This record gives sequence, structure tokens and C-alpha cells, in this order.
Amino acid sequence: MSTVFSEEQRDCLQELINVAMGLASDKLARFLNTFVHLQVPAIELVNSAQIPAQFEARYSNTEAALVSQGFLGNDGLRGEAIVLYQLDNAHRIAALLGYDTDSASELEMLTDISSILTTTFLNGLADQIDNSLSYSAPRVLSSRQNNVSEALQETAFHWELALKVDISYQLVDHSFNCDMLLLIPGEAVLNIQKILERILEEY
Amino acid sequence: MSEDWLTGPVLEQLNSGVLVVDEQLQLVYLNSFLQRHSSVQLSDVKGKSLFQVFTDVPEAWLRRKFASVLELQSPSFSSWEQRQYIIKLPHLRPVTSSSQYMAQNCTMLPLKDPAGRRYVCLLIEDATDAFVYQQHLQTTLQKLELSNRIDGLTQALNRRYWEEQLKLEVQRAQRYQQPLSLLLFDLDKFKQLNDQYGHLGGDCVLIELTARVRVLLRDTDWFGRYGGEEFGIVLTNTALAGALEVAERVCLAVNSTAVTFHDQSIATSVSIGVAQLDAVGDRAHEVLIGQADIALYNAKRDGRNRVVVFSAGETEFLLKAN
Repeated sequence: MSTVFSEEQRDCLQELINVAMGLASDKLARFLNTFVHLQVPAIELVNSAQIPAQFEARYSNTEAALVSQGFLGNDGLRGEAIVLYQLDNAHRIAALLGYDTDSASELEMLTDISSILTTTFLNGLADQIDNSLSYSAPRVLSSRQNNVSEALQETAFHWELALKVDISYQLVDHSFNCDMLLLIPGEAVLNIQKILERILEEY
Repeated sequence: MSEDWLTGPVLEQLNSGVLVVDEQLQLVYLNSFLQRHSSVQLSDVKGKSLFQVFTDVPEAWLRRKFASVLELQSPSFSSWEQRQYIIKLPHLRPVTSSSQYMAQNCTMLPLKDPAGRRYVCLLIEDATDAFVYQQHLQTTLQKLELSNRIDGLTQALNRRYWEEQLKLEVQRAQRYQQPLSLLLFDLDKFKQLNDQYGHLGGDCVLIELTARVRVLLRDTDWFGRYGGEEFGIVLTNTALAGALEVAERVCLAVNSTAVTFHDQSIATSVSIGVAQLDAVGDRAHEVLIGQADIALYNAKRDGRNRVVVFSAGETEFLLKAN
């Protein structure tokens, strides 16, 4: 799958993602009133058929949440962002966000966390390429009762390419790890390539 | 842009609510949809706090949502599935829907005016239809679940569900060291009855028998149809003496009054085997069924229309005679 992008395009994409992460962590830090350190995210292009297997090991023995949110921009940029994380992690972030357990349901909390992570990151990405995105409402694909890999299987197969972004948020007192998957349909991959080409030409 | 004139009329006729507040969460704009549904005039409320005008919105929650939209400049969402509505509004299907208020899908968007001032736009979409369908689905699923447990003819539990419950009750009795007893009973000479009165006559007897037995039981007992004319009753928290008493009552209730079918009286009786749980381990429920079955067989052999308690000496069946 790495052949889809040239090496130059890949580097360019990695750089865009790094900057987007930086912007996102800056915003999150101010919003949460705490220091947020983001590691440089590892990106990987994966065949969507391989996704369930890739995540099964990490999430099979733990209660995990899987939340999806569609995004749509100009120039044919579109796809679905999926955030995966462990539930015990989520409760720590929820406390930072000001949630107490009785005022909101767990599902509401999960969609809020995912939506904040997804939209701050993707807005940062869109800003750099003079694009702007609109989002669908986040949807919980699976939480404690369901099987993560089954839910992934049902979702991932509809897409031709997946961009796997491994995100690790380090907050002052605790760490929050999650995986973000950007699932992008075939024609949108071509559109991303065009966008990357345009940026590379400008340099 | 020459199409600027479009936005106003479209916004006013949109079938969704649009509300805009400034950074102090004071109302800046409400479209017609919201004004009409909430019986509020924009001119009366402009500049007032959102929470002063819509007094029943979840204030702390909404403040947190708006703060994240303003600070992060990214959208926030709320689904009717998690929070049925944010602003209490009547909906347009008051007759056909069981819900009193409009179910809402909400989006909170960051806005900036040309001077760079920040606002939050709350979009409210009517999701009452989805809410109603979801409720229908839930009701249907519940009915389906029930019919999945019930024997269609007699309305007793079906064998699969009854056996599941037996297994669970056996485990519970073992864990809490409580007594548990099982009755297995069989309608006497059912084949003969079918031959004489037809299958409809046989069905009629089964239905009547079930009804007579059911009124003798407690809510905590499990009454199921085990086979064609064979039934089982799981008596929770009941030792042998109590089970024997119930069994005698069942026997009497069936035998004392004949069943009326098409102006004919059908005299009928049952034979009952009783056993109390004493086996341990994973297969204890199967052992219990086996013991009650042996007792039932002995009741048949001893002349029917009677109750026989399983005694530990009996470990195998003799030739089964019906």
C-alpha cells in the first residue's frame, strides 16, 4: 500500500500531520488548562482488510471504545476518522473535561472525547492546506459490550485505503493513548495526492 | 456575492432550528422554526442570556459544550440517543408519537463575524421520526423475545428457555446453598385421549391443564413444556416436603374436574415425579432431570394419577410402560 504515495508525498503528509498535531495539542492544552505533550505521530498506510487484525491484539483483552466521525472538505477530501482507545483511559480524560459520572452517560462522554480529538486534529490539517472541513456527528461503533475487531471488520472493509495515525497524548499527570484511523475511499486518495502535489510544487 | 439574498429566506424557512449566541452566551439570533416552536420572539429576547430565556436547558452541560466550541474552534455534537433534547420543544406529530417533546440531533458550530468576534451556532434537527421508529423497534424486539421463550399452544415456557432457567437456578441454589426441587409431570394416556377426541381435544386438555397448574405456582417458579405432553416445574428455594405438597395439588387440580371439549367431558390425570437437587458440579441440572424422570416413570408404573418422590436407590429405568 505504501506504493500509493511517492516517498516525497509521504514525507509531505507526515509533515502536515506533525504540524496538525502540534496545533491540536496547543489548543487542547489551553482548553484543558494543563500541559499537553504530543509525541510525533507515526503514520502508516494500511490495506483496510488488515486493520481488524492489527488492532485485535491491542484491544482484545481490554474494554475499548471505537468512535467514528465522517469528514468532508473541498477538493474531494473526505473520509471517516475512527478513534480507538481504552475505556479506563477515557475516564481520566473525562475528569479533565469536567465530566462527573452522573451528569452524562458514558456514550455521550465517549463521543465528546473522540469528537474533540478528531476535529481539533483534522481542523489543523485542513488549515494548512487551505481547506475547511465539515463533520458528521460522532457515532460509537463499539464500547464495552461489543467486540472491537468485529466492529472494525464491519466498518473497515468499505474503504480502500486507511491511514493509520498512532497518537499518544501525554498530559501532566497521566498519559492518554489512542489510535486514530483515517479511512479514505479510493477517489479521495487521488484527491489527496493532487493536494500533496500542489503543496510540493509550491515549495 | 449576488446570491446573498438567498440566505435570509432559506434560514427562515429551514425545517431545523438555528440559534446563535455570543461569547457571553447571550442570544443573537433565532430563526423562525425556533421562534414558532418555542413561542418566543427574537425581538423580545435578543441580548438576553440563553439560560434566562430557555430555563430548562441543562446549563452546566451546555456551558461546557459551548466553551469547547469557542476555545477549540471545532464543532460539538449531541444525539437524541444520548440526550433526547436540549431545548424542550413540541413536535409536529403529537398524535402518532409517544414522546411529548421533539427528539433532537444538535450540532454546535464555531462562527466568527467580519470583525473577528466569536459566536456559537446551535443547529437543532428534528429527529422525532427516528426516535419513534426506535421505540417501535424496541417494543417489537421485546415481543419477539417473549415469543421466543413461550410455547405457542400452552403459553408455558418453551423447553429451550425453561432448561436455561433450570440451569441458572441450579447454579444459584448451589452458590447460595438453598434447596431447589423439580417436578416433571406427564398427562396420563395422552395418546388414547388424542385417538378418542382428536388432536384438537388433546390440545384443549393441554391448554386447560397449563392454566390450572399456573395458578398454583409462585412468581419465582419456572413452568415449562418439556415435551409433547410432558411438563416441568422448577421450584426455587423449596425442599422436598414443599415440592411434594405442590405436586399433590397439581395432581388434584387436574384430576378433580373434567375438561370440557365440544360438550364432552374429558376426565384426565397426571403422573408426577419429584426430586430435590443434591448433585453438585456442572451437570447437576441434568442429574436432577434424570432423577425426576425416574420418579415420574415409577408414578406411571404404580398406576398413574399419583406423585412419586425420587429415592436415591433408584438409578436406572426399567422397561418404560406408558
